Amino acid sequence: MSETKPAPKTVADGNTVHGVVAEFSDVDSLLAACERVRDAGYTKADAFTPFPVHGIDKALGIKPTVLPWIALTAGAIGTCTALTMQIWMNGIDYQYIISGKPYISLPAFIPVSFELTILFASFGTFFGMWALNGLPRFSNPMFTSPRFDRATDDTFFLFLDAKDKRFDEAGAKVLLGDLGGEFVEPVVEDDSPKKIPSFLLIGLALVIAFSMIPALLVARMRVTKSSSPRFHVFPDMDFSPAKDAQQISTLFADGRAMRPDVPGTVNRGELDWDVDFQTGIDMEKLAQIDAPRARQLVAMMQSDTEIGEGDGEVAGEESPAEEAVEEVTEEPQTEEPAAEEPMADEPATEEPAADEPAAEEPAADEPEAEMQEEPESVKEESASEEPTAEETATEEPASEEPAAEAPAEEMAAEEAPAEETPAETAPEEAATPAEAEPPTEKPAAPASLAPASGPTVDTTPWLTENPLTVDAEVLARGQQQFNIYCSVCHGMNGRGNGLVNQRAQQILATTWTPPSSLHDQTLYQDAYPDGKLFSTISNGVRKMPGYAAQIRAKDRWAIVSYVRALQASQNATLDDVPASQRKALQAKQAEVQAELEKAAAKAAADAQQSAT
Amino acid sequence: MSHHQAVAPKPADDPAFTMPALLSGLSLPLCIGGLIALVGGAFLGTTSLGGRFGMSVYLTAFMYAFTIALGSLFFVLIQHLSRAGWSVVVRRVAELMMVMVLPLAILFLPIAYSVWFGSLYSWTDAGYQAEHGVPIAVWSEKLRWLNPQWFTFRACLYLVIWGSTAWWYYSKSQRQDETGEITLTESMQARSGPAVILFSFCTAFAAFDWVMSLAPMWFSTMFGVYIFTGSVLSAHCAIALLCYVLQRQGAIRDEVTVEHYHDLGKLIFGFICFWGYIAFSQYMLIWYANIPEETHWFAARYPGFSSTFGPISIALMVLHWGLPFLGIMSRHVRRRPWAVAIWSAYILIMHFVDLYWAIMPEASLGAGGAVGVLSSLLCVIGMVALMLGLIITVGSGTRLIPVRDPRLGESLAFENI
Amino acid sequence: MSLAVPNGLDNSVERPGTRAPLVLGESSYHSITEAVCKIAENPPSKLWVISFLVAVHLATMLGLCIAYLFYTGVGVWGNRNPVFWGWPIVNFVFWVGIGHAGTLISAILYLFRQEWRTSINRTAEAMTIFAVVCAGTFPGIHVGRAWLAFWLAPYPSLNLWMWPQFRSPLLWDVFAVSTYATVSLLFWYMGMVPDLATFRDRSKHPVRRAVYGVLSLGWSGSSRHWMRYEKAYALLAAFAAPLVLSVHTIVSFDFAVSQVPGWHTTIFPPYFVAGAIFSGFAMVITLMVPARSIFNIEKLITIRHLENMCKIILTTGMIVGLAYGTEFFIAWYGQVTEEKFAFINRAMGPYWWAYWTMITCNVISPNIFWWKKARTTPWIMFVVSIFVNIGMWFERFVITVTSLSRDYLPSAWAYFEPTWVDWAMLIGSFGLFFTLFLLFCRLMPIINMAETKATLAKELHMAHKDAH
Repeated sequence: MSETKPAPKTVADGNTVHGVVAEFSDVDSLLAACERVRDAGYTKADAFTPFPVHGIDKALGIKPTVLPWIALTAGAIGTCTALTMQIWMNGIDYQYIISGKPYISLPAFIPVSFELTILFASFGTFFGMWALNGLPRFSNPMFTSPRFDRATDDTFFLFLDAKDKRFDEAGAKVLLGDLGGEFVEPVVEDDSPKKIPSFLLIGLALVIAFSMIPALLVARMRVTKSSSPRFHVFPDMDFSPAKDAQQISTLFADGRAMRPDVPGTVNRGELDWDVDFQTGIDMEKLAQIDAPRARQLVAMMQSDTEIGEGDGEVAGEESPAEEAVEEVTEEPQTEEPAAEEPMADEPATEEPAADEPAAEEPAADEPEAEMQEEPESVKEESASEEPTAEETATEEPASEEPAAEAPAEEMAAEEAPAEETPAETAPEEAATPAEAEPPTEKPAAPASLAPASGPTVDTTPWLTENPLTVDAEVLARGQQQFNIYCSVCHGMNGRGNGLVNQRAQQILATTWTPPSSLHDQTLYQDAYPDGKLFSTISNGVRKMPGYAAQIRAKDRWAIVSYVRALQASQNATLDDVPASQRKALQAKQAEVQAELEKAAAKAAADAQQSAT
Repeated sequence: MSHHQAVAPKPADDPAFTMPALLSGLSLPLCIGGLIALVGGAFLGTTSLGGRFGMSVYLTAFMYAFTIALGSLFFVLIQHLSRAGWSVVVRRVAELMMVMVLPLAILFLPIAYSVWFGSLYSWTDAGYQAEHGVPIAVWSEKLRWLNPQWFTFRACLYLVIWGSTAWWYYSKSQRQDETGEITLTESMQARSGPAVILFSFCTAFAAFDWVMSLAPMWFSTMFGVYIFTGSVLSAHCAIALLCYVLQRQGAIRDEVTVEHYHDLGKLIFGFICFWGYIAFSQYMLIWYANIPEETHWFAARYPGFSSTFGPISIALMVLHWGLPFLGIMSRHVRRRPWAVAIWSAYILIMHFVDLYWAIMPEASLGAGGAVGVLSSLLCVIGMVALMLGLIITVGSGTRLIPVRDPRLGESLAFENI
Repeated sequence: MSLAVPNGLDNSVERPGTRAPLVLGESSYHSITEAVCKIAENPPSKLWVISFLVAVHLATMLGLCIAYLFYTGVGVWGNRNPVFWGWPIVNFVFWVGIGHAGTLISAILYLFRQEWRTSINRTAEAMTIFAVVCAGTFPGIHVGRAWLAFWLAPYPSLNLWMWPQFRSPLLWDVFAVSTYATVSLLFWYMGMVPDLATFRDRSKHPVRRAVYGVLSLGWSGSSRHWMRYEKAYALLAAFAAPLVLSVHTIVSFDFAVSQVPGWHTTIFPPYFVAGAIFSGFAMVITLMVPARSIFNIEKLITIRHLENMCKIILTTGMIVGLAYGTEFFIAWYGQVTEEKFAFINRAMGPYWWAYWTMITCNVISPNIFWWKKARTTPWIMFVVSIFVNIGMWFERFVITVTSLSRDYLPSAWAYFEPTWVDWAMLIGSFGLFFTLFLLFCRLMPIINMAETKATLAKELHMAHKDAH
């Protein structure tokens, strides 16, 4: 192990001797020596080894360290700091709700608490260890001997400290020599200069001075005011070219800030759309009697629709919404003039309104003839008198045309069983005003509804049948959706007295239009086809907003089916009840009847009493 | 650098390696008494609180014993996989608990029966779908996994895999006691890798099947890991406790030293932390995302929602994690065998609470009043007694440490740094 | 005092009852010092210089990309609606994962008394630090206005007068990753102090001696110091072990606390941790296999070390595979439409290629390690480790991108495509990593000499005992 032997260092006079050190070349002899030294009564002996020697603590009698306690304390402080910090910052000082969690959300505070516990405990361990070891310490008498450089390589040193009570230099040297130590020599004071070189001090002072400059600058800026605009180190979003959707922009040649959809294209996943299903209108028929409107409906649907969840259904369609809203809102207004001057009065209004009067006159007596005439007359009208509608249509007429027709054709194929000839629908349409009469005799619940029940004629070929196969599941779904969306105004029973209406009556809201009772006969299937009801749900009527955005088309149809069921429930006879339940029902009826009679008798008695 | 003396193993037929007489004498009474209590508990639960409650009580007791046996199996496999030396002296104790998988496979029969003819699992109810408003399409898909035939088949598969692994390792270890062949150790090591994979697979899916499917609509990918963690934790505790009991009775006194308790203590501490980690992560993710598909399981155990299981949830947090975490943190505790034994017994009790908390809420009767608690306790005590009796019976026919394991010397001389 | 183990000895074979040597060849304490110190003391080899130049250039490219990003804005990335977490987050998770093996080797294997860790832990820890540097870069620049990233710190601000949002997993991430970086640094540095003292004592040049002297804090090797030092080391190991778990757990929380299909699944924490260890060990092998032959330290980093790492890769690979399977199974078992779709979409959707790359690299390729031949042949494990690195990058890609590109709102579905800046930054981050790593190889002791000597001492002791 040993190389050339340098002459043992002579001890310069006046230098303090810190102790005596000896070298060992292997672990076992070192351990044996340590044990002997310990047994000889030395308590301040120390060994210097290139790696931790297992068992040397016992051999030297070194006591265990308090480090774990430091770590534990630091860790506990970390936990408390983290919890206090989070509870105070998010729970007390700056409260705001995020994702519905309480201000003080302990589960959410645990990760940070854990991290800070570990961080603090690690700091405690790391710095605690160096502090306990008295490090960093760059001036160590042990380092004075060049031989000691090998303490970090392959040599083991045993050191007897002069501070030890038992220490005497000569005796220590003999002891170490006896134990097999080589190069036994005293450890003397480190005689290298202790003064820190001045260039280091000056350098340090300069660094500190320069590092103050930015801090001072910031501090100065904090207290002074300036009229010049803010200094933008990073532009952030200060100069970002933001555009409003409706503004004119120079970004695109046509001056728009947003791009319209590419005409003639179909959005992904929309190919199999069923326009009838989405609008409640038999499109093929509409195309025959009012081609531009049909085209417009389809085109607008394609440009404005979004895809709903999951299976690519439509969640909302604004375009037919607008269309139909106009149409239905027209109803009460056109009520009176429609009866007197059907044609002349209307041309200025939009086409849906325009075709109403067109259909009105002949509807009563010559349905078939009218149906043939109508398409032509409407075409003429729209060509001549509808510049606004035409404008949008003519913008890209070539490409829009096929887009409008393709779905219609597809639909025709799909809807084959539901298809009806114009001849079949016409009488039905014609029957509408006739059958709409009774409501005037049997007034609807809220008086203000009366105008709506006037005889208006609607030629739109509404779907007369619910395209869904109505079964218990659909009805249950419809009921659920009805109860969620409709019942707030229309009431659970559909009589138009939902909670919102009750409240409106209570506070005597002046602008409130009471919701219709769904049991009004004008809203029955024969007077108000399923498609129309669907369209009303989708697009709203009067004060009622459209629900196309909230309720999926399928569910709207389910609601339609449920409304029909509700209506049927009011006209049900005992025959509709399953045989097994009839008895119970009759019994119940008798009971209720008796109660009613009793109540009536009592009321009569009361009235008499009060009268007298 | 260890300076301990090499310890020469005692001869293989030393009396220190045989089951102490007192314990041997207890085996039959334990078996019989245990079986009576087990059956009595389940019967009491069934007759007074219905079939589902009774079977849930039985399932809790069964899972309690089974998880410990599985954890022991895992312990043995992992020792071979990592070629561990320190653990040789405690491995036989783990092996004795590991073979309990075989009798437990028979005790699974009542559960299998209840899948066909009973009411333990609510997915066997014909009315479940309608009652809970589960869409028909969803329910029919569910039933493709949760149906009696397929369930039974899977259970058999798991049991066969576990049982054969346990038996194979047990018999090889036994044979080494006689012959001392080193090749046996080598072949056990070689097979431990695939065995661990099969083990993990079966454990995860058995946890889904046997416990998670009690709430058929609930799912958590972590659940297998959760059961596994409790299983390994309790197995380590059971090993420490059993070793301590054996030593108190005079067996393996010089072999299992304070160093082994120290190591078991460290592992127990580690698995307590791991259990806390897994339990917290599972709860945290479900709590944070807060979607009804998942929260209903915890809602049934939430303080303020359930008067029985809410407090147990809190108790689990404090008593299954917090208290033992602080208790076993110190090296001084881990280096005292009696302290390790006491903490082990404590954690074994908490492991029962953990499983009780996981299983019983699905019986929808709370704790079932005094009768319910009594039947739960009877069942689990009976199950534990039965298992102890069987362990003693098996242990009486063998030695309590693998006396000719090539690494026995290393284990005997083992010292913590 | 020296130990002679035949050089050609296959120490990957271990007869039960004995322990195979971890240091091969004729070795003494001094020869270990020589072998390790020479790597830093000898002039750099050509290979090192060339690799360093390449790495520095790539790192510069990363720097330039970041400058470009700051100047232009995050639009230079491919992150678009709906994939707002694109490559930067993928890279972040990838690099954090790489880092974990370092802590695992130094802390967890230490706690499990796996002595084979001694000659690889230093490099692995260094790898951790550098990987965390790379990882930290990405979320740092991902916040958009990176110059305001200090807003994440809970400091009392007069401008904002508000506090960070501690209920957000992203803030947990800040704490987790910074704690991890700090503790890893402490751990790494503390482990290096005795070896730096060796460097100090061997230095001839006064500047070198002064620098290493300051870095080694006046370490003398006193037994009292060693005693506290070892205690501190054990404590730090005990803190680092749960820390490493927590870091990737919290990274997984970033995903799993959300409600995005494919992200919200409870197995994420352990699964991410296993994945991180998996990728980290692969990276250690990628680094070690060439390094041990370039620096001539095959006797210290032996086949046994490599074989053990291969076994860990195999184990964690199996865990990851089991987690993939469990996720798929529960997605079906749970019968939640979106969840089912998310997983089918992963495997069969537009990113099927990424998914199957991931499966091939992570689940199939490590299976070659069932054969001992593969576990003991460096070039095979090198190739597999590269596969695993690729696979684990893709895992993060699959998780991040497939779920975001098609979540609840089909109208918002889109296909994510990276830009050249994404590519340049990914490659550049490797440049940064290797620059730091190559510097480390030249300036620091790449093998823990003190611990390796302690292992040698143990083997000497055993040999001594056997001789008697």
